Amino acid sequence: MPSDEGVLDRLVDWVHTTDVFKCVASWTLVPYWARRTPVKPLPGGPHPSFQHGDNVQCMMNLIMPLKVKSPIGRAEAALAIAKNKDAIYAGLNNVGTVHFARFVIVGDNICMFSVYDGDFTNYIRDFIATIGEVFNEVVKLVEGGKKVIPCEKNVEAFIQWVHEHDLYQVPDTATDFLRDQEDLKGDRAVSPVDDDLTLLPRKLVLQLRANANISLGSGYRAYPGFSVAQVRKHLKLGW
Amino acid sequence: MVDTSTAKQLVQAIIDNLEQPVPGRRPVHTIGVGVKGEFVASDVACTYCIAEHFNGKPVRVSVRFSNGLGGVNQHDGWSDVRGMATRFHISGERGSDLIATTLGEFFVRNVDDFFEFSKIAKREKYERRPWWRKVWDLLQLKIPPRNPYPDETKNVDEGALRYANRHRFAQLGIFQVGLIGAPESYARASYHAVHTFWVTAPDGVRRPVRFSWQPVAGVRNTDPKAVPRDRYLFDELRDRLQRWPARFMLMMTIGEEGDALDDPTKPWPGTRIRVVMGTLTLLKVSEDQEADGERISFNPNRLAPGIEVSNDPILEARLGAYEVSREMRGGCPFKWR
Repeated sequence: MPSDEGVLDRLVDWVHTTDVFKCVASWTLVPYWARRTPVKPLPGGPHPSFQHGDNVQCMMNLIMPLKVKSPIGRAEAALAIAKNKDAIYAGLNNVGTVHFARFVIVGDNICMFSVYDGDFTNYIRDFIATIGEVFNEVVKLVEGGKKVIPCEKNVEAFIQWVHEHDLYQVPDTATDFLRDQEDLKGDRAVSPVDDDLTLLPRKLVLQLRANANISLGSGYRAYPGFSVAQVRKHLKLGW
Repeated sequence: MVDTSTAKQLVQAIIDNLEQPVPGRRPVHTIGVGVKGEFVASDVACTYCIAEHFNGKPVRVSVRFSNGLGGVNQHDGWSDVRGMATRFHISGERGSDLIATTLGEFFVRNVDDFFEFSKIAKREKYERRPWWRKVWDLLQLKIPPRNPYPDETKNVDEGALRYANRHRFAQLGIFQVGLIGAPESYARASYHAVHTFWVTAPDGVRRPVRFSWQPVAGVRNTDPKAVPRDRYLFDELRDRLQRWPARFMLMMTIGEEGDALDDPTKPWPGTRIRVVMGTLTLLKVSEDQEADGERISFNPNRLAPGIEVSNDPILEARLGAYEVSREMRGGCPFKWR
């Protein structure tokens, strides 16, 4: 690197890579800028689209914080899933549009990650129509879950509840994340604009303050563009 | 249609922004190396495209890897867009070219945008940012700009950023350029053809597609914190190919209605159908670099029957601009098909 750098140059280049700086900045600069330039949480789930490819293999990343934040609470959640395994699998078969689904416990959250075809609302509607009773067993263990139980009788409220717990899916390209923020603010400006791309790191930090958990990009797909029905048909797996 | 005079202006706009003219050489992607290899289409490629090189028989291939910067000074270790121009030698004297770079999306949509970009993104003095300004950046939760490389006194970074701040369509491409880095090897980078092409299948179905090369050896960049080396990519490639061939998979993404077919600044979603079209095997660095690294001339509009250009204005402009540049440096004439 250039040899004309002084001690302060080297110090500043080094200091922002340290954990101490990151910790101090998280407690001071981040709250300061969050107050100066407030950022709203971005909504969860896939981006709306009419295009075929965007409506197959959609991701749901449902993060549901447990009421009892202890090993006992986590064990209760694990048991609720375990004892209903047959019902869950049978229900998912009946939904018919789910590629993959799994439950995961991370920290004090019970999470459901799934890849499905078609509209999110229809997916959830089908889901609770087939395994609503099982889902009640899980939802009753989750913060705020009481208000949507029984979910098969509170369909719209349950769909909204799931949507609120579904992770914001960051677009595949960094600058599309800015477009999401602009959309949320109603900013539809076209060229010429007066942006400052150097603010991208701050915007990302503040967004991650508002949406602490996110899904990074649309994810890898080995066979993008194909639905469950197409895959099963081509592989002659029956229906 | 982009006329000859516009094509000349395009090339001149590039030349005017060079550190010094390089007569007889390419104005950008000046530093490059020619490589010989072979392409074999996958077993499904011929069901999507009737072009000869997708029929499954091995096709001889010439590839030119390059650094994006214009000028004769070689800076392999600098963060820079790299090029991979490929000629499929189909039967007779014909060829089909595929020109790709490590940049996923372009930063201008058409010729007018390019002229405005070239006015704004001029080479400007580039110095280390003073420490106190870096502190101010950090206080604003910004990442300070990188320090200049050794011998780097000017670049277009500031101007390109000003352009991107005014034009959202340019932001993705320019943001990517800022992060692109330097590959450990020309054989360890992904290359994207950015434009949309139309391919015709044996049943007559035409599909809009975009092509990318993906390295079998995997993508790997050098350590951006290390002192960049100026010359290593040619030797690395020669050594690598003496030991073992290097391979790339040709991936073809199929666009859908509503996708940007004529705008290279807009990416297609990762959810589009993606087909493996074949494998390129690089066998050796050409012994005749004058012919295979310098005089060889590529053009993204030179396409085998079965592949057609889209209405992308940048792709159209490249037809004439590449020819003007080729004439200026005395490259091999453009043989249309």
